Amino acid sequence: MPQVTLGVSALYHDAAAALMIDGQVIAAAQEERFSRLKHDPSLPVRAAQWCLDEAGLSAQDIDQLIFYEKPLRKFERILSTSIATFPRSALSFPRQMKAWLGDKLWTRNRLVEAFGVRPERVGFSDHHRSHAASAFYSGPFERAAVLVADGVGEWATTSLWRGGPAGLEPLGEVRWPHSLGLLYSAMTAFLGFAVNEGEYKVMGMAAWGTPRYREALDRVGRLLPDGGFALDLDHFSHHWHPTRAYTDRLVALLGPPRPPGAPFALLDPSASAAARAESQRHADLAASVQSWLEDALLHVIRHAHQRSGEANLCLAGGVALNAVANHRLALEGPFAQLFVQPAAGDAGGALGAAQWASFGVAGRPWSPSRFRPDLGPSLDEGRVADLVADLGFPCEALPHEDALLDRAAQDLLSGQVLGWVQGRAELGPRALGHRSILADPRGPDTALRVNTRVKLREPFRPFAPSIAEEQAALVQLPPAAAALGPYMTVACPASDRLREAAPAVVHVNGSTRPQLVSAADDPRYHGLLRRMGEATGLSALLNTSFNLKGEPLVGSATDALATLARCELDAVYIGPLRVGRPPARVLGG
Amino acid sequence: MGALRRAWIGLTGQFAWRLRPAHMLRSFSRTEQGSALDMFAAVESTDRRDIRKKYFRHALDEWRHAGIFRERAREVAGPDAVESGREEAGMLVEHGIVGGRTLFERLGERDFLAFVFVAEADAVEQFGVYARHGLLDAGTEAALERILKDELFHVSYSKHELDRLSEAEGAAAARGAVRRIRWSRFKEGYLRLSRDIGHGMSSLWLLALYGLVLPPFRLFARLEAPGWQAPPTEARSAADALMSEA
Ligand SMILES: [Fe+2]
Ligand SMILES: [Fe+2]
Ligand SMILES: [Fe+2]
Repeated sequence: MPQVTLGVSALYHDAAAALMIDGQVIAAAQEERFSRLKHDPSLPVRAAQWCLDEAGLSAQDIDQLIFYEKPLRKFERILSTSIATFPRSALSFPRQMKAWLGDKLWTRNRLVEAFGVRPERVGFSDHHRSHAASAFYSGPFERAAVLVADGVGEWATTSLWRGGPAGLEPLGEVRWPHSLGLLYSAMTAFLGFAVNEGEYKVMGMAAWGTPRYREALDRVGRLLPDGGFALDLDHFSHHWHPTRAYTDRLVALLGPPRPPGAPFALLDPSASAAARAESQRHADLAASVQSWLEDALLHVIRHAHQRSGEANLCLAGGVALNAVANHRLALEGPFAQLFVQPAAGDAGGALGAAQWASFGVAGRPWSPSRFRPDLGPSLDEGRVADLVADLGFPCEALPHEDALLDRAAQDLLSGQVLGWVQGRAELGPRALGHRSILADPRGPDTALRVNTRVKLREPFRPFAPSIAEEQAALVQLPPAAAALGPYMTVACPASDRLREAAPAVVHVNGSTRPQLVSAADDPRYHGLLRRMGEATGLSALLNTSFNLKGEPLVGSATDALATLARCELDAVYIGPLRVGRPPARVLGG
Repeated sequence: MGALRRAWIGLTGQFAWRLRPAHMLRSFSRTEQGSALDMFAAVESTDRRDIRKKYFRHALDEWRHAGIFRERAREVAGPDAVESGREEAGMLVEHGIVGGRTLFERLGERDFLAFVFVAEADAVEQFGVYARHGLLDAGTEAALERILKDELFHVSYSKHELDRLSEAEGAAAARGAVRRIRWSRFKEGYLRLSRDIGHGMSSLWLLALYGLVLPPFRLFARLEAPGWQAPPTEARSAADALMSEA
C-alpha cells in the first residue's frame, strides 16, 4: 500500500496543500490561486482537492494529514503574551480570543470536517520544523545547517537545525517577541506598505537610499554576543497591539512615518525639492532597515556555522525571501554553499510538514536532489481552446514547438509584452516562466511600459531577468549562491554587458535578481531564451509574475484571459495557443 | 417587504454616509470585487457555452466598479488617510470559495442566475434610495451614475436568461428559484446582523474577563528573554509528538 501524506498550512498566512506519496512530492498548490484572494489563509480545501485529483486519489486514501504547526502551543504564546503585556493588550485580547475560541483552537476538528479524514490520521508538525524540513529535504546537500527566520511560529522566530542522515536536530531558537521578521515588518508598516506584502517594496526602495538611520536602528535592534539579537520592545507593539507594529517612540526616533501611497518623487523630474527630500528620507529609512537585517542575518549565520559545524546552509522562513540579504550571506557569510527554499513563506510550510512526516518521522529513505517548484496545476488545452472560442478572443494554435517559439520570440522582439502560461504552476511567490509576464529587456522604456501598462505597480521596484544558463556570465552570482540560480532567490551584481544592454532588469544600484534557465529543467522556456539570444546576442527576458497589482498569480484559464482583458498585455501564450487581445465588445464598459 | 427594505436602507444610509463615507465606499468596492470573483468562477464552471461571454463581461464590469469605488474612497478619505493593509487585503469572506465551493458550484446554473438577478436588482434599488435621499456628495453620485448603467444591464440579462430557462423548465421553477434566493439573502442578512451583535457582546465579555481575571497572573508572567535559547526539551518520540496539537 502506498503511503499518502497531505501537508497543510493555513489559518495564519499563505494557505497551501502538498501531497506526497511514498516520499515523493506529487503536487503542491496555494489556496490563493483557486480562491483569487492574495495570501488567502483559509483552509486549503480547493488546493488539497486538486492535489488529490492530480494523483487520482480521494480523501479516504489519505494516510496522514499533517498540519504545519501546533495550534495549542501558539495559543499558549498568545495567551501568555496578553497577560505579560497587561493592560496594553486590552484591544488585542478580545480579538485574539474570539479568533481562537471560536475557531483556531479546534483546528483538528476543522481539518477533519474540511478534508474528510479521520481524526486519528491528523498530525501536527511545528511551524519552524516545517520550514526547516521544506528547506533541507528540498535541498541539494547530504547534510547542512538549517536556519529558519520569519515573523513568528509558535514561539520561535529564528531557529537553527542540523540536517543529516539522522533527520533534523534542533540546535537552538530565538523566541517571540524578539524577531528579525517582525522588525522588518514594523519598518514595512512604518514606510506605508502592507505587512506581509510590502516587504519586497522596502527591499526595492532600499537601493535608492543610504543607510543613515543605521545607528538609530542599532539601538532598537541590538546584536548580542551569543550570536542572537534583541529588540528594544519599547519601540515595537506587535506583541500587544492588534494592528499597529511600532510605538510613538519609534516615530520620535526616526521621524514621521511615510503615509501609504505617498508618491516616490526621486523618479519624478517635476517634483519639488521638498518632495524629493522626503522621498529620499523614506529611501534612506528603507536602506537602513535593509542594512540592519543583512548585518543581523550575517551575525546569526556566523553563530549557526560555529554551533552546527556544517559547511552548507539551508534557509527558509519569510525572511529568506530577502534576495538582497541572501547575496550578502553568500558573499560574506562562512558557509560554502547556500540553498533557499523558493517557497520560503508559510505556503512552503505545507510541503515541509509532509516532508517531515515522511522523512523525519516515518524514516523513509531520502537523498538530495534538485528542487523543482513547478508542483501546481497545469491547464487542459482542450478546455482552454473552448473557453477562448466561447469568449471570442482571437486565437492561433501553434502545435509545432519551433513555430510556437519563433512566433513568441518575434512578438517579443517587436516590443510586445506577453503572458506566458506553460506547464505546472510554481509554488511560492516567484513566477519562474510558468505563470509569467515576459518582455524584451533591451528597450530603455521597457520597465516603465510593463509597470504602467501592465503591472500598475510602484515605479521604484525593479524587474528581474530570466537568463539562459549558458549566458550565466551576464550576472555575478557568488560561488556560494550557485544553487540559487534557478529560483530568483538571490540578487547579485549585473555584468557591465547586462547593465548596458538590458537596463529594464537592472536595479538603480546595478544589482539584478536572475533566474538561470537550463534546457534540462525547462526546454520550452530555454528555447525561447535561446531564440532571443540568436536574434539579439542576449539570451535574456524580463520576467515578472503574471498577475495584476494586489492579485495572486493567475490560476485558471479564465484568470489568464481576464488579466489579458484588464491590462495592456499584447497576447497570452497558453500552452501551444497564442491568444490575442479581445475585441472591444467582449470587454463591455 | 420591499418598502421595509427601502426604509431600512434609507435609515442606515443616513448614518453611514454621514459618519463613514470612505468606509462605505470601500465596503462597496469589496462587494464589487467579490461579485467579480463569483462571476469569473461561473465562467470557469458553466456548461452553457452561450452564456459564458455574458458572465465574463459581467465580471469585468464588477472589477471595474470595484476600482471606481476604491478610487472614490481614496478621494473622500483624503491623502493622509491610513488604509489598513488588512482592509486592503479585502477579507472577502462571503465571496469566492465557501466550504470549498464557489457560489456557482453551490447554487447551480438556475439558482445562480436567480441570485445574480436578485442581487443586481437589490443593488440598483439600494443605490436608488441613496440618490433619492440625497445622501451622496456630487463626486460619489457621479461615480454611481457610471456604475448604474452596467448594473441595469446585469439585471436585464440575468432576467432574460431566467426567462429563457423558464421556457425550458417552466415558469414555476424560475419563480421558485428567485423566491428561494430572496429568502436566503434575507436570512443571511439577519444572521449577519445577529452575528455582528454577538461579536460585539462577546468582545465585551472578553474585555470584562481580561480586566477581572488576568491581572493576578500578570505578577508571574514574563516575556521571553532575547538571544539564543535551547530548543524545548521533547520527551516524546517523534511519532507521538507528531500526533499532538501541543
Ligand atoms: Fe512562517
Ligand atoms: Fe457592480
Ligand atoms: Fe452588477
